[in-house]
Amino acid sequence: MFGYILRRVLMLFPVLFGVSILIFVVMRIIPGDVAMTILGTDATPEALAQLRKDFGLDLPLFQQYVNWISGVFVGDFGESMRTGKEVLPDILSRFRITFELTLISAVISWLIAIPMGILAAVKRNSKTDFSVRMISLLGVSVPNFALATVIILVLALVFSYSPPVGYVGFFEDPLKNLQIMIIPSLVLGTTMAGAVMRMTRSSILETLKQDFIRTIRAKGAKERVVIFQHALRNAMIPILTIIGMQIGSLLGGAVIIEQIFSLPGLGQLVLTGITQRDFTIVQGSVLFIATVFVMINLLVDILYSYLDPRITYK
Amino acid sequence: MIKKSRFLMFFALVFISILIAACSNSENTSNESTTNDNKDSETTSEQTTNVEQVFNIAVDQEPAGLDPHKTPAQSSVRIYGQTYEGLVTFDENMQIVGQLAESWEQPDDTTYIFHLVEGVKFHNGREMTADDVKYSFDRIMAEETASHIKSYFANVKAIEVVDPLTVKITVNTPDATFLTNLTNSSAVVVAKEVVEENGDLQQVVVGTGPFKFEEWVPDNHVTLVKNEDYYIEGQPKLDKVVFNTMKEESSRLSAIRTGAIDFAMVSAKSAELIKDNSDINIMNYQSLEYSYIGFNVNKEPFNNEKVRQALSLATDRQTIANIVWNGDAIISGPVAPSMGDWAIDVNKEELYQRDIEKAKQLLAEAGYENGFDTVITTASTYPDMVDTAQILQQQWKEIGVNASIKQIEWGEYIETWSNTSADILVGRNGSGIDPDRALNYFFHTDGSANVWGFSNEDFDKLVTQGKQTIDSDERHAIYTEAQKQLINLSPNLFLVSPMNFVAVRSNVEGYTPYPHNALDLVNITKK
Repeated sequence: MFGYILRRVLMLFPVLFGVSILIFVVMRIIPGDVAMTILGTDATPEALAQLRKDFGLDLPLFQQYVNWISGVFVGDFGESMRTGKEVLPDILSRFRITFELTLISAVISWLIAIPMGILAAVKRNSKTDFSVRMISLLGVSVPNFALATVIILVLALVFSYSPPVGYVGFFEDPLKNLQIMIIPSLVLGTTMAGAVMRMTRSSILETLKQDFIRTIRAKGAKERVVIFQHALRNAMIPILTIIGMQIGSLLGGAVIIEQIFSLPGLGQLVLTGITQRDFTIVQGSVLFIATVFVMINLLVDILYSYLDPRITYK
Repeated sequence: MIKKSRFLMFFALVFISILIAACSNSENTSNESTTNDNKDSETTSEQTTNVEQVFNIAVDQEPAGLDPHKTPAQSSVRIYGQTYEGLVTFDENMQIVGQLAESWEQPDDTTYIFHLVEGVKFHNGREMTADDVKYSFDRIMAEETASHIKSYFANVKAIEVVDPLTVKITVNTPDATFLTNLTNSSAVVVAKEVVEENGDLQQVVVGTGPFKFEEWVPDNHVTLVKNEDYYIEGQPKLDKVVFNTMKEESSRLSAIRTGAIDFAMVSAKSAELIKDNSDINIMNYQSLEYSYIGFNVNKEPFNNEKVRQALSLATDRQTIANIVWNGDAIISGPVAPSMGDWAIDVNKEELYQRDIEKAKQLLAEAGYENGFDTVITTASTYPDMVDTAQILQQQWKEIGVNASIKQIEWGEYIETWSNTSADILVGRNGSGIDPDRALNYFFHTDGSANVWGFSNEDFDKLVTQGKQTIDSDERHAIYTEAQKQLINLSPNLFLVSPMNFVAVRSNVEGYTPYPHNALDLVNITKK
């Protein structure tokens, strides 16, 4: 098992290498560059040329790549071309916020989706099942940003409430931090719950059809035991796949939610970087997000083998 | 079971490594220099007022770097404009008054002698002297700085320190724009030791202004605090100013409705929505910007001025003002109306009177009696640009010009503007605070922002002369003639100059917006 994990981690390197080349090239192919977006209509040819020289954009592409990637190896992701801030510390501090948002949203979505999914599966084709399926359909169809905007408006107009302005970290002021995070997490969590609910329901239904469930019931086990101790664990694998994918994509930053709730997260960083053509920010962020995604996949795979002992890794 | 615990262990290992990545970075503020000194200043002022004098502003964009000599971005200017100062500035009537220079004289046409205010301190405690002024302008002019305002001072011959409080600047040719250029928010005095210690001023702020930098939390807020040692008595009155980055307009609106924010710039439509709220004042002011249509003057059919004139005659500018800006915009020429008597009355210009027949006739004379097809390029991120393009598409159809609209993303737009790769481009310009910028910078053959390829010898001579003419009446006459010529030749169609709206909580006193300075904070207090 340990050997397996090691091999998976080592696979990160070729993946990241490929990603780094891809993002490096793409950023330079698309029209517009950072010198222009910084100077805007104040871009005299001299100022542009000098600024480009400052950023090393006049060097041959290969040289630029080598300069950048050699820094990455020692943990120096360079500086933002637009603000001069160091890239890696910036990414990490943003990641904290995105991570917290993802965590709270995910927990909320599990708390809603899994019980309701089980309920719907157990009471199949009843009114309960029907309403759960309707709710999950809503969750899957309603875009999270639409829900977010409506919620903000309703809170402001009806309750004269707006979320606290300005972000504080959890360890600085836990209460205020939770106040800031709760609404975006609820919005994200409820919209995520839809997909998990549906997968839970269908997966449990499949599992309940299997022979071993008949055996356990025949042996006289209580229904509660049948569901929670036997069926659920066996049904978890497809559910886990969906959850893993949701979390992986959320950790890349829920861009629109972050924007609506003014959360300085990773998604915002990447989006601004792209619009401003801030090469170092986008390159660094994409590498980071790719790494996180690979690690999440590894985590999910390990969890599979825990849930189903028939799955082993050598 | 052994297996279970081992799996859990591996799982925990991988999970923890992700957690470590998430929790590793404990510092998320950027500037180390001035955080500690400011704690004292807050406590003393609490005794004098009941309401906490903290002013919360909602801005739509995170600032770029904060180096005044290198960053023209408005998102940065509105912040560093509170912390840095220049030799002179504008007063509320757009007249030039002294800032760091308390007086100045001109012994001859090309020499300026500035007498500096005594006892001005930088935020790091050191007193400002004439050496700092010389250092700052040398830095602006230096190649390595790549300053965006270097070209404004291309005419400067020498800067001399006469004594610690006197600076002598000589220019090559008489320059009517020199003093005005000195009011630019980027033409400010910085401290040499701070630049040398940090390489540049993008992340560190040490100026002479009424507010000092406290912290910058990326994509969240920038906090400024009161400069207790400011050389003007009684200024500023606020203890703290916080610029909160809130990109979403609906979030800014809800925050100002509830009072979480004291001040925000809003669009005309949003201003309509909240104007009836008794806790909010909506103020407006005429901006210095104008929207325009740019032509690639070297490409057919736009190389023929009759075609451009025909398009001007086919354009109904008032309709654009009514539809795109809800009527909150004035018809404009190349010099925005808010520049006062520099701007001619464009409503009297022939080419501004919509006349379809005449337009068709001009087109026929140019050889296009059946009209032609073309493409209008616009930035998708600015709804007013897109709306303007759509209206023009309809208006120009009447003379047989069939335009399709191409929307492009902002980065691509800037490149298209810079390389003139579009035939027709919808745009916005700031006409600046001096007509020289509006006319020379954009339309002189060698103008730095003349991307259109426009070149006219007579016009060039006029604006060059205008720059060097010191006498006000003479200068006015020159620029009146220049504007008429430019409108006639129409390398751009100048459309309208919009109003800007700000929403301010009603318990805020002492604030007035000006076209040249919408964020004058020194006299603001909160009731």
